[in-house]
Amino acid sequence: MANLRTCLAFLFLCCSLCDAVYEDQVGKFDWRQQYVGKVLFAHFESHSQASKKLILATDKNIVASLNPRTGDLFWRQVDKAGPEGHIDTLLFHGQDAVVVTGNGRLLRSWESSVGALNWEMLLDPGSFLAAVLVGTQDSVKFVAVLKKATVSLHYLSNGHQKWTETLPDSDTVHYQAVYSSGGSQLFVLGVVPHSHLSIITFNIEDGEITSQRSVDAPWLSSIQARCTVVGQGVLICADASTLSLYMLPLSSEEPVGLQQVPLQSLDLDLALGFQPVLLTTQPNPARPPLAQFFLQLGPDHHVLLQLSDGHLSPLRDFQPAFLVSFATTGEKTVAAVLSPKNETVSSKEGWLVFDHVCNEQACSVSLYSADSGRRLLDTTVTIHLDPNGGKPEKLYVHAFLKKDDSVGYRVLVQTEDHTITFLQQPGRIVWTREEALADVVTMEMVDLPLTGTQAELEGEFGKKAAGLAGYGLAAMVLKRLSSQLILLQAWIAHLWKLFYDARKPRSQVKNEVTIETLARDEFNLQKMMVMVTASGKLFGIDSKSGMVLWKHYLRNVQPNAVFKLMVQRTTAHFPHPPQCTLLIKDKETGLAALHVFNPIFGKKSHVTPPTLSRPVLQSLLLPLMDQDYSKVLLLIDDEYKVTAFPSTKNVLQQLQEMASAIYFFLVDASQGKLSGFRLRKDLSTELIWEVVIPPEVQKIVAVKGKRANEHVHSQGRVMGDRSVLYKYLNPNLLAVVTESVDTHQERSFVGVFLIDGVTGRIIHEAVQRKARGPIHLVHSENWVVYEYWNAKSRRNEFSVLELFEGTELYNSTVFSSLDRPHLPQVLQQSYIFPSSISTMEATLTEKGITSRHLLVGLPSGAILSLPKMFLDPRRPEMATEQSREENLIPYAPEMPIRTEWFINYNQSVTRVRGIYTAPSGLESTCLVVAYGLDIFQTRVYPSKQFDVLKDDYDYVLISSVLFGLFFATMISKRLAQVKLLNRAWR
Amino acid sequence: MASPGGHGGGAVSTRGGGGTRRMKWALELSLGNTRQFPVPSCRSRGDRQSSQGDTLYPIGYSDKPVPDTSVQEADRNLVEKRCWDVALGPLKQIPMNLFIMYMSGNTISIFPIMMVCMMAWRPIQALMSLSATFKLLESSSQQWLQGIVYLIGNLLGSALAIYKCQSMGLLPTHSSDWLAFIEPPQRMEIMGGGMVL
Repeated sequence: MANLRTCLAFLFLCCSLCDAVYEDQVGKFDWRQQYVGKVLFAHFESHSQASKKLILATDKNIVASLNPRTGDLFWRQVDKAGPEGHIDTLLFHGQDAVVVTGNGRLLRSWESSVGALNWEMLLDPGSFLAAVLVGTQDSVKFVAVLKKATVSLHYLSNGHQKWTETLPDSDTVHYQAVYSSGGSQLFVLGVVPHSHLSIITFNIEDGEITSQRSVDAPWLSSIQARCTVVGQGVLICADASTLSLYMLPLSSEEPVGLQQVPLQSLDLDLALGFQPVLLTTQPNPARPPLAQFFLQLGPDHHVLLQLSDGHLSPLRDFQPAFLVSFATTGEKTVAAVLSPKNETVSSKEGWLVFDHVCNEQACSVSLYSADSGRRLLDTTVTIHLDPNGGKPEKLYVHAFLKKDDSVGYRVLVQTEDHTITFLQQPGRIVWTREEALADVVTMEMVDLPLTGTQAELEGEFGKKAAGLAGYGLAAMVLKRLSSQLILLQAWIAHLWKLFYDARKPRSQVKNEVTIETLARDEFNLQKMMVMVTASGKLFGIDSKSGMVLWKHYLRNVQPNAVFKLMVQRTTAHFPHPPQCTLLIKDKETGLAALHVFNPIFGKKSHVTPPTLSRPVLQSLLLPLMDQDYSKVLLLIDDEYKVTAFPSTKNVLQQLQEMASAIYFFLVDASQGKLSGFRLRKDLSTELIWEVVIPPEVQKIVAVKGKRANEHVHSQGRVMGDRSVLYKYLNPNLLAVVTESVDTHQERSFVGVFLIDGVTGRIIHEAVQRKARGPIHLVHSENWVVYEYWNAKSRRNEFSVLELFEGTELYNSTVFSSLDRPHLPQVLQQSYIFPSSISTMEATLTEKGITSRHLLVGLPSGAILSLPKMFLDPRRPEMATEQSREENLIPYAPEMPIRTEWFINYNQSVTRVRGIYTAPSGLESTCLVVAYGLDIFQTRVYPSKQFDVLKDDYDYVLISSVLFGLFFATMISKRLAQVKLLNRAWR
Repeated sequence: MASPGGHGGGAVSTRGGGGTRRMKWALELSLGNTRQFPVPSCRSRGDRQSSQGDTLYPIGYSDKPVPDTSVQEADRNLVEKRCWDVALGPLKQIPMNLFIMYMSGNTISIFPIMMVCMMAWRPIQALMSLSATFKLLESSSQQWLQGIVYLIGNLLGSALAIYKCQSMGLLPTHSSDWLAFIEPPQRMEIMGGGMVL
């Protein structure tokens, strides 16, 4: 028997060693979506008529080019994550996208058509402040980069530095802006806050300072936000305290002061407490900016002003208008204004309705001539904003001249939920990109609901059956017959559809997935992916196609909020809708809120979550259920009191009964304290244990328990002599990883503690000397795998800990942490891994029979499916008869990376941050979602598909052989009969 | 069952039942059988027959001599010997089985499995038809001894088969064989928590 099993295991082993995707399977059950992140800068490439592109730079340190027709990526250049690769600015001219990255560290130029790097220059050290394109004699030749103490000029063609000059008095003057208008001068503007403005003029040719002057401006604190240059080199500043605009001609020789223009003299009024914002445009860097500019006076109030002959005059007042933007095509410059569609209503109610106005009704964008402020006819684009989305935040307008010389345009709207929508006249959405998905924080996979017929059948055994039982057998039989009939009907309909579709060409048959047609498939392979993003937007994505089926933007979510997603009720309890709960905790105030929703439709649930007045420390989902089959969620506040949700009488009663068996632990990394609590009957708690890991020596970096939905089929391991080594399967075991505070190569270490979460007993303690993080950890079944950096040997290493109870089970029926006199045997082994890793997760299957694989996300974007068999501390140094019997691979210090183990073949997942695994209805199959900058979904078969026929199973051959044999039997039987008869006659 | 044994058994029973039935059958078949003893005359008649044609002789007449069964009738020792053959048959197969066992090895593949199945099935079949075999041995004087020897032989054969199964690892005799049936232990405590959010 054991031999048979080992034989099978060996078969699996052989199979799993050739676990790659065939060429024709590509894209069959996997998909990848690529994102770029929140758009910071966007430019339309409009110079060449043939290839229109949209060039973006995002907060994820990406320069990308999109196809404006489809929204697909043309190319994407991913820089280092973090501040080192941060994109400071994006300037665009002709075919070149010039980017300053890493706070002025690098100046790069990208070729916009293919995304190739034109050139790259390392800039002098110093924090970056501003960069501008500089043109002379109608052609743009240079890039000027302003840093804290220097200004430098680079050639646009090759990046070489033309000159660099140090700025005078850079320790007192804050230089903030650089400006050129096509002449031979370059202006650098600096400010001494609340004192004066400093203007330095450089000669573009040789970098010589031609003039230097300072102007008193005691009200000015910053140039970047408040000042801009308009027209023929006139600096305009807005000041909220004096309610005035100030003008100063930059190039005038005589020492004139700032000319004050009170807003009242222009019949304008500033909204209370609002800082005015100026918006100007310089269509061509080789020419001065336009004389027209926008002044924002309130959240929904913009004014188009014109500067002519040194006088300001308002051209047009836009109220309500949320966003304004300039766009230039040829010689024409237009202003696009976003305002609510229903102007009369909103103007009556004033700007109080602002918060809702663009969310609940449509907005419209209209074009106005920038010269005159006149409205251009037939230029309105209506934007129907998603009620579950955010407010528009930015407007990028791509204007073009039509054949009849009128101005047409398309508009890119960025909303605060990081969605970008591209619209064209008269309001058709060309495409939408959900860039919030570039930053997925956490996710869950939820089973899809049953179809009506399946539910009917289920109902027979469910609640309805209980009612029917009273009517006796006849009713039950009738019920069964009717449900079978319905099933038959559905089956025939399905067959008919198959037949009907088969006649159509392949390309026309599209299985449109809509939220109404969602139903669980035969093997539960299609699920709903509920994704929570850092921006506070929730998504429901169909795991089969990757289509976003619902989205919901949570307003008022702080940027650094912590999320925890829990599935309270699955789809298994039919009349009750499934229910997910998202715990959102604001890091600053510590206060938490619960968002309860239906994971299939994304709708907010009618259930009112409890109001949490105190900061929440942790939450705990109990396996207890209330009468509506929703699991009980316990929330622990900072006074260690517990709030239950739902908190019906039934639940409270159950909690009272169970209280003595409910434990929880809290880990305070800052104090290095682990503490365990027990629930009392009155929902208060008592501290029962505490472990302190001194934070001066080492800090806790990760704590991992086991997954609640994990099943372990085999309680032990079969040895070569056919005895059993029983696994130590403690469901309360925690793996705590610490890193030393001292990061010196010789003294740094990594500690791993295995602690029982109920009793606080330290089961095992291991210290890895001369090792450093970042540490990636997987804790499952009876093993812990972690990866660290070996500082001494300068390599990445995997280490595996496995716990065994021994050859005898202490108690085979119940597991209680309180009654465990013997410590488990702990085995450990380490391996060299040839690459660093980004994240790690273990596969998960329904019953836990299938062998386990580790899914390792590599920085290269590959996802490696590493058989757990290779990470086995029982691997012997010398292969013996017994170890061979056990299928143990002899120990080899080096762990291989085989390219056929990459489950995502060439579909790299950039900056993979997390891998989520979920079991499917098939024991062999595990669903995998890798998320990071991209999202990749696939299925893995750690033991090959042993429970379904293969994709390439030859149905035709098998059935033809069967039919052939059948007919051959029939014919030969007939022949034999004839022959017998003939012989009898003879 | 081997065919010579069956024939021998038939002969034994005929002899035990008495001469009448045999004589009756012999009478129906031919004339020659009644005159077994005057062999020379028969031969002379046969010679004449062949020279004169078929018409003179009755249907069923054979000019070949019919084998003489009465020779064995007298030889009781031969009966005993045949019975011992039957009884010792299973025992005699054991060395052969041992050889096959040795040759087939302990690996699990289709051929050794077939061998083991055959080795196990034959004694079981023999044990099931034990009463029929006992009937065969009825005529022997050492019937009981022979029966016991036959039984022991078959039991030994099946023991050998079981041993073979054991050495091939097909018997659930180890704790590992029952591992799959161990239920996961029930969890007594509910625990959760984590890093302070």
